[in-house]
Amino acid sequence: MEEFVGELWHKLITRQAQTDFAEAKVEFASLQSQLATYFRAMGGEPGKNLEGTGPRAFNPKRRLAQRMAGSHRHFAVCWQDDRGLRLPISLAYFPDSALNEALYFWQTALAAQLPTIRHWFADNQQATHDLLKKRPGLAAGYQQLAEATLKTRPDLETLKGPELERELAIQQAIREPGSVDQLPIAVGDPLPVPIWIYPAPLYALSPDSDDDLDDMGDGSRAEKQLNTGRKQAERIDDAKQTDGLLVFKLECLFTWAEQVDLDRCQEENLDDDSSTADDLDIITLSRKRRAGAARLKFDLDLPSAQNDDLPVGEGIRLPEWDYRKQAYIKDYCLLQPMLADDALPAAVPDYLRNQARVLKNRFSMLRPQRTWQRRQPYGDEIDLDAWLELKTQPLRNEEHQDLYRARNNPQRDLACLLLSDLSMSTDAGLGANGDSDQRVIDVIRDTMLLFAEALSSTGDPFAIYGFSSVKNKQVRYQLLKNFSEAYGDQARGRLLAVKPGFYTRMGAAIRQSTEVLKLQKSQQRLMLILSDGKPNDIDRYEGRYGIEDTRRAVIEAKQQGIQPFCVTIDERGNDYLPYLFGEQCYAVVNDLARLPVLLPKLYLNLTGISA
Amino acid sequence: MANDIHYLPQGREIEIFQTAANNKLPVLIKGPTGCGKTRFVEYMAAELGRPLHTVACHDDLTASDLVGRHLIGADGTYWQDGPLTRAVREGGICYLDEVVEARKDTTVVLHPLSDHRRVLPIERTGETIEAHPDFMLVISYNPGYQNLIKGLKPSTRQRFVAMSFDYPDPEQEVVIVCQESGVDKQTAQQLVALGNDLRRLKDHDLEEAASTRLLIYAAMMIQSGLTQSEACTACLAQPLSDEPETLVAIERLIQAHF
Repeated sequence: MEEFVGELWHKLITRQAQTDFAEAKVEFASLQSQLATYFRAMGGEPGKNLEGTGPRAFNPKRRLAQRMAGSHRHFAVCWQDDRGLRLPISLAYFPDSALNEALYFWQTALAAQLPTIRHWFADNQQATHDLLKKRPGLAAGYQQLAEATLKTRPDLETLKGPELERELAIQQAIREPGSVDQLPIAVGDPLPVPIWIYPAPLYALSPDSDDDLDDMGDGSRAEKQLNTGRKQAERIDDAKQTDGLLVFKLECLFTWAEQVDLDRCQEENLDDDSSTADDLDIITLSRKRRAGAARLKFDLDLPSAQNDDLPVGEGIRLPEWDYRKQAYIKDYCLLQPMLADDALPAAVPDYLRNQARVLKNRFSMLRPQRTWQRRQPYGDEIDLDAWLELKTQPLRNEEHQDLYRARNNPQRDLACLLLSDLSMSTDAGLGANGDSDQRVIDVIRDTMLLFAEALSSTGDPFAIYGFSSVKNKQVRYQLLKNFSEAYGDQARGRLLAVKPGFYTRMGAAIRQSTEVLKLQKSQQRLMLILSDGKPNDIDRYEGRYGIEDTRRAVIEAKQQGIQPFCVTIDERGNDYLPYLFGEQCYAVVNDLARLPVLLPKLYLNLTGISA
Repeated sequence: MANDIHYLPQGREIEIFQTAANNKLPVLIKGPTGCGKTRFVEYMAAELGRPLHTVACHDDLTASDLVGRHLIGADGTYWQDGPLTRAVREGGICYLDEVVEARKDTTVVLHPLSDHRRVLPIERTGETIEAHPDFMLVISYNPGYQNLIKGLKPSTRQRFVAMSFDYPDPEQEVVIVCQESGVDKQTAQQLVALGNDLRRLKDHDLEEAASTRLLIYAAMMIQSGLTQSEACTACLAQPLSDEPETLVAIERLIQAHF
């Protein structure tokens, strides 16, 4: 009985306290891709992700019922930092779902207008003002949102003193953005304004910061400090996440020490090393350093024979180019083809099924069209050109004239080999700080899978290989799908089972791929290389040596009539890729998350099928 | 000289073209779709007072389509000059639009024309025509399509004076849109702002950016009485994408402007 009454009471109170309109709720997930496009078009940085975010803690003045229900301490607001724009996972501020949807778009537009926020109150007004001026079509929508927002503001009669003044200032600022300069100071937080952008939360401030602890975790009160320089600086530190916990600082020291001892990886960027902190952002690098330090240990880390993929054959000896001697070192590399024979056949995973279907449909429409071939000995129609020539040049041999046009077999004469970098650096997480759950290798795997799905529906012959290396004696050349095998569950299983390997001896892998492609009889042979950074290995294969050898391998491929094209996710690819592959033969993909969709598109562009 | 064609220079392209023409050098123009390449060539032809022979290249265009072929008339066979040959004989500008689309063999006939020889050998008649002093070869292509199979060979590119075109600056584009369509300045400004928003989506959501031409189309539709949002949807959203999600986002963007 007590429980029953308690439950009733809870329901009653929560209903009393309720200010959200659950029936008008709009989910972020349903709008995400539209919002992303909108964000970019509005001038937001294309590299930023749009992500859902949970409610944030605020401390506004609450009504009795709200206090009793324990609600209204967390609010869904929109904020952004270096990594991305965070929008509430759902919105139910307004009674009309169209308004809630409009709020998402408004927040996105405002966020694009306001990439960094210094002063919550002033910046939001200024940005709103600018945005409405720049895009007058937004004004009507803003008016509606502003009115709806004002209705949700606290009743002025319940407030008094500084709180009343502050609330009046906020309401005035919503009504006429840019009209109020200063926000009066009052106790607690003002009720959050959903149509404004909030600064990134300061959760991760270092404990020894001299910041007032009361102010932590609550960006909305930044407005109190008109002198915002200090706070802003702290926020930048926060984004770097380099001065958080003490433990982390020690780790800094370790890495620094290792780096100095080893003299590895740093010869290319000695200048950059002046700030250790910056280096630490890139988790992949430090991992590599550690692995490089324990070279002996590392070799022991190779999987044992029974756990490893099946080596195919004895291995293939390949030359390597030594730029210092300007000569090949014969049989220097031992390339070992590997086959993941224990990978189970698999279907397309659920999360990719939709994309795979769309791509398949699109690509199956691009099956090569039947085209006319001129001057055929027999065919469906007379070739008028050939006939005219015959008539006008009577001296020519009248026999054996090919006077017909015929439709040819619908086959595009194009073979494509996709070579993926499966080095250890692909084990890194996504995102600027590498702290996302999804790893680079996951994206590469999805990319290969979608690419395979797309190409299997065009009928173009294609093969997929992956590579990684441990010095010159073991270049692992992973056979994922070869040209002769039909694409099916078997190959898909192998694609899904790829694991990040070791280093990137790119030259040897390209040479072997050239050999594979040479056997294809197609007229056009395309070698797509999917990479995440410069060639490197733990022996001398790094820096200039690796670059020169790779470049040599690319030139060899071109001489064989193969067209290499590199797709990289390395933002600094522009620095060295023109030298490796040539000006027109590479593409840098900035937004890794879109790579799986972009690669098939790129294939269409490269092969001129859609253009 | 009276010139009815409107062209607003973005830089020194008129002078460069003029100088190339005076020195009898061929010109290569590259730039994205609808940024004014063809208009520029038309303008320059009028400016120089030379006839213009335009050939829109397609993937079935053969060398004989350019050079000419034998035909049969009432009195037997006769030779019919193609547009290139006509321009070479009579003088004038031969403009090959989107030249990379043409078959590979067509570019070979351009080689002797585009270096110091300035001759056109016609294999079928055994004739070698020396180019008229007023003959000028102009080709254009869109480097935006990174295409490995169809590309201009370096040996071909090397023979041309090259110019790169891009969409004009917003202020200039407003003037162009007003001029071409007759809309008021404010509408033109909004259209150009919308166009620039859409151009940010290139490579990301759209394969190609909204061209100046499309902005002019939209302005013309508005000028003829269509509502602004209808015109923008028809001219700036639908032509650029087939993806429903992208279209919705562009619709929203249009609403943000009008």
